[in-house]
Amino acid sequence: MNPLQDATPRPPKYADLEASVILPKQRASPASSLTSLPYRRSNPSLHKLFESTSSLAGSRPSSGTATPTPASAPPAALSPGSRQNGTGTPSSLQPGVSDEYRILIQRAFVPHVAVVADVETETMIRGKGIEGGLLQLLRPFGETVPGKITIRDSIGASKSHADFGIRFVGAHLGSGLASLPATARNSLEDPSRTSHTSMRPRSIGGNVAQVEEVVDRHLQYFEFNAHTAASGIPGEPHTLAPEANSSPFYTLYLRRLLSGLPLVPHETFAHPVASVIAVSSRNPNPTEEFRRLYAKQREGELRPPPWVDNEYLRYYVLVHEEETGDIAKSNQVFDQMKRHFGLNCHLLRLKSQQCIPSDDDSVRLPTCEWMSSAEELAEIQQRETADDITDPTPYIPESDITAIRTFVRELVAQSIVPQMERHVATWNEQVLARRRGISGRFMSLSKRWTPFGSSRNSSSPALGSSNTNYDSLQGFYRPDAPEAIMRKLADYSFMLRDWKLALSTYDILRTDFNNDKAWRHYAGAAEMAALSALMSTGPLTSKTRTENIDTWIEAASYSYTDRDRSAAPYYALRTLALSLELLRLRGASAADDAARWASRILEMGLVGPVGNALFTERVAACYAIRKGVGAHRMGSRLRKAAFFAVLAAEAWFRLGKSLQAEKCLDVAMGLYGARGGYDDGVVKIPFAQMREFIEELRQQILGLRMSIRGLESEEGAEEEVEESVVVEETETLDKSPRMHRRSLIGAVAPATDLAGLTPGLEREREEEKKADHFE
Amino acid sequence: MSYTFTILSPTDTPLFTHSFGTSRSGGDGIPRFTSSERALIPFILHSALDIVEDVQWGPSTSAGSAPMYLKHIDKYQNNFISCWITGGNVRFLLLTRPRDEALGLGPSSSGQKGSLAGGRAGLQSSSGMLYSPTNAATEEAVKNFFQDVYESWLKTIMNPFFNVGKGDVVKSPVFRARVAAAAKKYL
Repeated sequence: MNPLQDATPRPPKYADLEASVILPKQRASPASSLTSLPYRRSNPSLHKLFESTSSLAGSRPSSGTATPTPASAPPAALSPGSRQNGTGTPSSLQPGVSDEYRILIQRAFVPHVAVVADVETETMIRGKGIEGGLLQLLRPFGETVPGKITIRDSIGASKSHADFGIRFVGAHLGSGLASLPATARNSLEDPSRTSHTSMRPRSIGGNVAQVEEVVDRHLQYFEFNAHTAASGIPGEPHTLAPEANSSPFYTLYLRRLLSGLPLVPHETFAHPVASVIAVSSRNPNPTEEFRRLYAKQREGELRPPPWVDNEYLRYYVLVHEEETGDIAKSNQVFDQMKRHFGLNCHLLRLKSQQCIPSDDDSVRLPTCEWMSSAEELAEIQQRETADDITDPTPYIPESDITAIRTFVRELVAQSIVPQMERHVATWNEQVLARRRGISGRFMSLSKRWTPFGSSRNSSSPALGSSNTNYDSLQGFYRPDAPEAIMRKLADYSFMLRDWKLALSTYDILRTDFNNDKAWRHYAGAAEMAALSALMSTGPLTSKTRTENIDTWIEAASYSYTDRDRSAAPYYALRTLALSLELLRLRGASAADDAARWASRILEMGLVGPVGNALFTERVAACYAIRKGVGAHRMGSRLRKAAFFAVLAAEAWFRLGKSLQAEKCLDVAMGLYGARGGYDDGVVKIPFAQMREFIEELRQQILGLRMSIRGLESEEGAEEEVEESVVVEETETLDKSPRMHRRSLIGAVAPATDLAGLTPGLEREREEEKKADHFE
Repeated sequence: MSYTFTILSPTDTPLFTHSFGTSRSGGDGIPRFTSSERALIPFILHSALDIVEDVQWGPSTSAGSAPMYLKHIDKYQNNFISCWITGGNVRFLLLTRPRDEALGLGPSSSGQKGSLAGGRAGLQSSSGMLYSPTNAATEEAVKNFFQDVYESWLKTIMNPFFNVGKGDVVKSPVFRARVAAAAKKYL
């Protein structure tokens, strides 16, 4: 065993423990100072950013009743709505339940591909107006590989997937990332540490607070724009369709949660499966440059941390420039490359001149669907503060797009997938089979019960002991240890959607990690075991569900938060959120469990205020699945669902999101109506206090909506008030801009308790208002 | 500990509601719900009916006759709900909200010895455990309470002027007094 390259042991950061358990209040980020600014809704570039939620917010595109949204249609391949018809959905899907989140999860765990390019390539692409260089150019196209990708699983059966994707990531593989995700998260906040990569924010996610902030921004934007755009949306009666309340904001929340998976020792999803090495044809000596970049990645400054396997696939790309380059020469170089590297190379022909929107065949560079929350925040800020209202997104010629699509398709179909299949087969044979066989069992037994294994439990860990491969000081397995390889095998098969093999491997790993007391790894294996069991399409008996999956989820969430020295609430949240969505798909009997995990998220305090409201909504959605049977709706959970919908409405109201609150309240009334029946068109609610509470909430939400609209019409001086509004509301409308302005200065969500105004205050504001008139 | 006791008709209409505090270990019998908790109580009780029906019609846990006392059936955050079903499918629901200390939540849970109000808290914790709804003693106390209330309830609905079929709300002060007495005696 060679000595560790990274000899300095990193002490566990105890100081961060508190900070990472309790969600930071997010004052540090510069974004918070900007949240208070009202949106200029005329900014088209900003609108593009919020498209993912604002164009869908009224109604989901899949539902039949959808009113067609006039929003400029995004390219069909990239819009999230077009993925609804996924393959491999559990057959027993209930009517009205879409497997949207299953597909989302499937698309979240995909191979990562590192991108390195030489200086000439980067300069050329910057010249096209793309600041982020080759990586930014490639990224959007990796998210969906055009055409179907056929994957052979471990038993030799082939299956085609239309929605396979890869993630292009920067070459600085977590170079600023310390061994623990907690510290990584802190380094995100610390500007001094991120400076060395580039001006661009780190594309690492895993920060719940940032996710919340992004979603909050979207909500705010929606709130402000929907009021002016069409007042029809909020008033629209909501029918009782359970999918009506799977809001685009929740989808966004989950997607941001799963974007930019951090590079950590205990899971290998973010570890590169391959790396693209690009050299420009302008380079005088491409072969030499390839060699240099390869060495840089292998031993030089781009070397990944010691727990990442460095033996991944290298894919060589010669970037040919159409205008000035000599194609004959490029072809010659490329032929040479082909002889050397076989299939793992490509000639990418790009145009170098800058493209403007008015050009003939120019196409807007698509937005990344899977950018991390930090990136999106930075983007939003940048566009808000920018003075010009033109869209800064670069345009590229269509021929480039075709070239890149072909390149990505070839890269995935001919190199990455076969390579992963090969790895899975080899490891399955060499490592897993041996571990599973008689001798493997014996090995692991002897490992556990060895009489000389005194060092296992003693305080001097790791290096000397031959019994365990776990380096408990630094908290990882070396990449060549059988456990690490098995974890990789399991992750690969998860990414290749071979759930069965993944499940069995994770299950073995779980016991191994447990014996080694590698808690973070153990939690990871338990999490993924539960997920792969739930992802598989076969039917699950309720017995396996309660006996295995529930315990796995429980173990994972417990070990992620409580057992480890440094808690990882992000992972616990991921475990619970994903398993609740998958359980929810499994019909009525699992819905209770789903709801239980959702309430667990709330109880453990894993989320901030926005997440709190979203997950409360989700509990309601889980319960709403159980509709009961027969005329008496036996075994239904409609009352529970309605209760949580009311809670969600209240939570949204407290956050100052009137549209969301109203939607939840409508859902709640629909559920109460479905349960208790109607009385002259009015929903029957048995308890008088409940009626009062709901009525009051509705009034308050109405007031809030008025006050937001009041802000909108600020410039329009005294806009006439609608007739239907009662006198009390009129007053609200008049004074609200002022009130709102004040609350904006404080950057607090406006907690407008209109009902609770004291007469004194009331008078004061009256006077204030009068003064306003005379100005 | 604070309690809310509600009687619900088969059509989910509340017929009678009574809130009270514990009278055990020096309690004064006054409920101590915060205002936000108080607002949620009807919702919690109403939503618990889903579970009541599940337990009521679900597979029987006891051999032979179906029990009237369904024990602890549901929980929302720190509110525990026990249920009793009468022969006429009228549901008695008791919502229990233990004090934070009894749940091991409060600030005094770590250093209970030093707290000034330690009289009661100390007594509670010296008995050894945190509140648990499935604790045998708790179950027994709630059962006794329900039994007493059930008896008074039968007497009330036997009143010829009380229209049970229409789901009349119980207004009788005698009944309320009896519920209060049972509460004081057992809870």
